[in-house]
Parts: sequence; structure tokens; C-alpha cells
Amino acid sequence: MNQKELKELIEFLIDKDIAEFELERGDVKVRIKRGADGAMTVPDARYFATYPAPPAAEMPVASPAAAPPKEAAPVVEENLHMVRSPIVGTFYESPSPGSPPFAKPGDVIEVGQVLCIVEAMKLMNEIESDVAGELVKKLVANGQPIEYGQELFAIRPRK
Amino acid sequence: MEVSYHPTLQTDARLGRIVRILNDYATVVVSGTKLAAELGTTRSEVWRLVQQLRQFGVSIEGRPSTGYRLRTVPDLLLPEIVSPLVRGTIFSRYIHHYYKIGSTNTEAMQAAATGAPEGSVFLAEQQTAGRGRGAHQWYSAQSSGIYCSVILRPPLPPFEALILSLATGLAVYQAVQSKAPHLSLDLKWPNDLLINGKKFCGILTEMNAEATRVRHVVIGIGINVNQTNFPAELQPVATSLRQAAGTEWSRVELCAALLKSLDREYRDLLSRPDARGSVLRRFQERSSLVRGRAVRVEENGVFEGITDGLDPRGFLQVRTLQGLRLVLSGTVRPKE
Repeated sequence: MNQKELKELIEFLIDKDIAEFELERGDVKVRIKRGADGAMTVPDARYFATYPAPPAAEMPVASPAAAPPKEAAPVVEENLHMVRSPIVGTFYESPSPGSPPFAKPGDVIEVGQVLCIVEAMKLMNEIESDVAGELVKKLVANGQPIEYGQELFAIRPRK
Repeated sequence: MEVSYHPTLQTDARLGRIVRILNDYATVVVSGTKLAAELGTTRSEVWRLVQQLRQFGVSIEGRPSTGYRLRTVPDLLLPEIVSPLVRGTIFSRYIHHYYKIGSTNTEAMQAAATGAPEGSVFLAEQQTAGRGRGAHQWYSAQSSGIYCSVILRPPLPPFEALILSLATGLAVYQAVQSKAPHLSLDLKWPNDLLINGKKFCGILTEMNAEATRVRHVVIGIGINVNQTNFPAELQPVATSLRQAAGTEWSRVELCAALLKSLDREYRDLLSRPDARGSVLRRFQERSSLVRGRAVRVEENGVFEGITDGLDPRGFLQVRTLQGLRLVLSGTVRPKE
């Protein structure tokens, strides 16, 4: 499946208002999930489309990275902004072990402020806040493996 | 200039120019007056700068009254020396050299955040706070290793930039091999380089990105080149190229080979559709640990298993009693 076909497929799903779609054909696996809130609900197509699914017998059952992200305790308050991870990796709340966290609940956050590091293959990805406001909740634990697009922090945007 | 007390000291650009001029007139004595005129300074200032170069270990004959002559081209990573050797790569234009610095990665990250261009290179003779993963430090003795950080701005989403981590290991591998084909090198996932099981190169990559776009990536590379000994606690795990090969190395030549090799990997990744597959394939060919080896993995706890190659994103697969697990960021060690 090429980029164009995938785009057409996604447009079709949006058009027909289909929320979830899964396709396995040969070594290609496509999973598309559209949520209600709009933002980042379509996982990056390239990511899923270009990587062959592992054979069924080798399904990495025990792999925390491949397991679906744990449901974080529901944040009931509305209009919270979710900061998500742009990569798969390991979550670190501080610049190095033992040092104070970049940010904690209750902190006032500015745009561009570093909130955490997500590490994959010794590549340290600084995750910055894209809104200003109050950090309400940290949704993952230090050292925890996280998925692509997983919610990391809830921020109440400044009015 | 209080060289020994400054945490960060960018090298006086005039030092490189003196070396360049003396190198251009390698067989003759250049008068202090001529050097002073070229640099737009005084003869006494030239004398002061020559004394500084001698502190770096540059072998210069002469006095203010006789003029100066370079005995040998110094193995110093000055922009004036490195830049001509990497012409045609993205790394030739913005080379910064430091006599002493905390960490080249920290400096490069700060420079990148304030707009330093892609291809900027930060080289140091000595790091006082060289960094590794987590709280690890990188032992960075003066003028014996290569301590190099580069800024890249790949037009990619963050998850596609991860492969740079593996590609950089390959770049170092190729650079070292081009200078010493007989050395038996090994890559340890994700990108440590080993000889006889001892580490001689470490790579730490730092990225700043939006959700869909990388702003900048800083790749820090530390190579033990001419160290003849290490602190006791490092001796069981560290080696240098000199210790392995038995001869002294030109840091300048190796650094130039490294930047050229990294330039090639980077350009390929941006322009060739098969480049990612090529990186994964070559990595697996050059890494003894990546397949069929019993390992112990420290990641969010500890687990053991047999390595089973890389997944298509470059993550290490380990077969365990509970099934196949992916290593995202952990430390992988061969099991005794």
C-alpha cells in the first residue's frame, strides 16, 4: 500500500465516519483509529504502514512497548490540554537519575518549557510544552515505556 | 587568558590562523613581524599566542627575534586544520573549537536552540563534564580523544530521526576501519563501539522536536584515540584505538574521516529511499551482539534472553521465556 492509497483510505474512513479500521494483507498491517477529540487520533500512517507485522507466533506478548498503553486514570475535567509523546521510548521525568523533575503537578508551565525526556536508542528527546498553563497531572511513571502518541501530561491552559 | 579556570573557553581564532600560516610556509622561518601583520596585531601578542600554542602541544621553533617555524603539523582539531579536509560536506563551514569545555553536547544544544545552522561542529580538546546516558560521564582527557558534537536539522518527524542513532555508530565504524582495516571492531546496540569487548566510542544524541517535526538533533561522539591509560575504574571496560592498534593515531585525520562518513550517512538517509533498510542491514552485519547472543537487559527492571535481530524501526528484539520483547533504550550486556 503506498502513501496515496493510504491517504485515500483515510479520507474514505472520514467520509463514512468509520471510527476504527484494521487491515492485514501479507506483511503489511494498517490500523487506523479516529477518536472524538480530533487531535492526533490518526496514528501516523507511515509508521504503521511501512513496518511488517511480526508473525503471529512471535507476537511480542510480553513487550511493554508493544502492549496497548495503559489507560491512565480518567481526567474528568474538560478542556485540559494533553502533551503526547512523538516517539516510542522510555519516559524520564528528570535530566539525570536522582535530579529533580523538569516539571511536577501544580507547576506553572510556559510554551517551550521542557517537561520530560523520552529516550529511544540513546537518543534523548526533550518534550516541550506547546501550551502555557498549569500542569494538572503527570500520566506516566518515571522509567516507564511509552507508546507513540501516548498522553504524558495534562495541562490546564492559561485563559 | 586564564585557560585553566574557565569552564568554557572557545579557542582564540588567531591560534588557528598562526598554525595555518606557519603550515603554509612549512619549510621556512616566518618572522614575528609578518605574523603580526597577517593577524593585525603586535609582535608581542604573536609571542603570547605562540606560547599558548606550545601549551597545546604544538611544536613551534623560534623566538620573537628569530621568527617562527612549525616543526610538525600539530594534531589539533582546529577549524583551520579540519575544515579543508571535510570540504564538500555539510560540516566544513561552522567548526567551533574549544580548548576546554564542560560538554560539547550541552554547548551544541544551546547553540542550536539559538539558531546555529545545520552542520555546525563543536570540537574540544578537553571536556570537564563529558556526558553519557543518564548520570554517566564520559572520560575526556586533554587532547587524547575526539570530543565532537554536530547539529543536524533533518526535515523528518521525530520517530523517523531515531535511525540517526544507529547510522552514527556505523559512521564511526567506517571511519575507524578506513584508517585501520586490520582492527576487529564491534557495534553494541544501539551505538557503542568496542574492540575485544572494551568500549572505545560512545554516542549520545539529543533531540528537540515538535510533535511532527524535528527542530534540531545534536549528535555527540566521544572516541578514545590516543589514551595510553585510563582511570582504574574504567580499565576493565575501556580501551583506546592506540591501545588496540599499538600505534599513535592522527586525531585530525580520524575526525575528518568521521565527519565525511557521517555526512554520507545523513545525506543518504534524507535522499535515498533504501537508506533505512541499508542502515539496519549493515548494523546487523557489524554487530556480534544483535542476533543469537544471550544477553541481560536493564530496562525498567532487568530481563534476560537471546537477541533476535532488529525490528524495522531499529529496536533490538530479545527472545525471552515470556515471548519476544523489544528493547527501547536499555543497556544490553552479553551474559557471562
